[in-house]
Amino acid sequence: MKTRKGYTLRSLGKEFILVADGFEAVDFSRMISLNETAAFLWKEVEDKDFDADMLTTLLTDNYDIDRETAQNDVTAMLKSWAEAGIIED
Amino acid sequence: MKKVYKVAGFDFAIIMPDDERAWGTMQNYEPFVTEDTGNYIFTAELVDAMPDTTGKQLVVASNMRADMPRAEMYDWDGKWLFEFAPTMEAPVRVIMLTDKEFTYMKFRVLGGWRFSSDIVMKMMFACATTHRNTLMMHASVTMHKGKGYLFLGVSGTGKSTHSQLWINNIEGCELLNDDHPALKVEDNGEVRVYGTPWSGKTSCYRNIDVPVGAIVDLHQAKKNEIRRLSLPEAYAVIFVSFAGLRFLKEQADGYHTTNAKVVGSVPCYRLDCLPDADAAWLCHNTVTQ
Repeated sequence: MKTRKGYTLRSLGKEFILVADGFEAVDFSRMISLNETAAFLWKEVEDKDFDADMLTTLLTDNYDIDRETAQNDVTAMLKSWAEAGIIED
Repeated sequence: MKKVYKVAGFDFAIIMPDDERAWGTMQNYEPFVTEDTGNYIFTAELVDAMPDTTGKQLVVASNMRADMPRAEMYDWDGKWLFEFAPTMEAPVRVIMLTDKEFTYMKFRVLGGWRFSSDIVMKMMFACATTHRNTLMMHASVTMHKGKGYLFLGVSGTGKSTHSQLWINNIEGCELLNDDHPALKVEDNGEVRVYGTPWSGKTSCYRNIDVPVGAIVDLHQAKKNEIRRLSLPEAYAVIFVSFAGLRFLKEQADGYHTTNAKVVGSVPCYRLDCLPDADAAWLCHNTVTQ
């Protein structure tokens, strides 16, 4: 899968939001908030082909988290990213 | 003849012939007249002809509602060309041509002076200040004990009504601006709200500014409720109430920087409300704490 083009990650201190660039940005439902970890993952895989395994490895390599917990977190996160329409196959 | 105005600390110049009757219709700018120091964020010049813009390329057409102004924006020879009409069905009343940095604009008025001059100056001011720590907002602002409270909401929500409820029920309240105030992050980090010549249907063109006490996003509801917004929520409500061109990439960085600073230091709330005095008191008692 890939991150959808046309989003800019913006920092609000410890919280982050993805804002749609361009004309569709007028629609406020297209603004998605991310926590620090999700923002880190987004930056790592932006504009690349990636899968759940890659994200899980990124989590276990960079955070104090076991693989199973990381997998569950990634599954939940990808579901919300898909619902928000910020990733595509 | 050239006149220079200072709004939110920024000077801009309007050039029109001496005998132009339009000067007389622009009373809302008079409180903002300032000394000409030759240093403007933009200059606006009235012209009686526009260059031939056949083949111009439509960038965006905007009309949110039938009774709201219509705008079309074109890319023409490296410049932005705008056409504005007061409603969806109305003919174009004013055409403006500006460089993409919003520093020099020429405008031609076809009819409706007051509408025409205000809409082009508002657009120039909003776009020329976005990268100068300033956001022109769509909001009604009431002052209380030396602070400004911004009421946001989509058109028809009751922003002006809520301001009036504060003024009529809570002692010591005054209206600062009823439609397009300027929100500015000063060099020392303080967030202030400035009156402007643009105040919608209410004649309230006050050249004053106060620190911002709170920003409140209004929603019509069957009962009164208020809650503090999270940072991303606050960012989003300011984002939708920004009166500049959100979609221009050139504007996005300045826009974001200011919005992030505002939500980092000003408390923002969501008020679900009826148009009654209880709503004003609930809001006041919460946001002025």
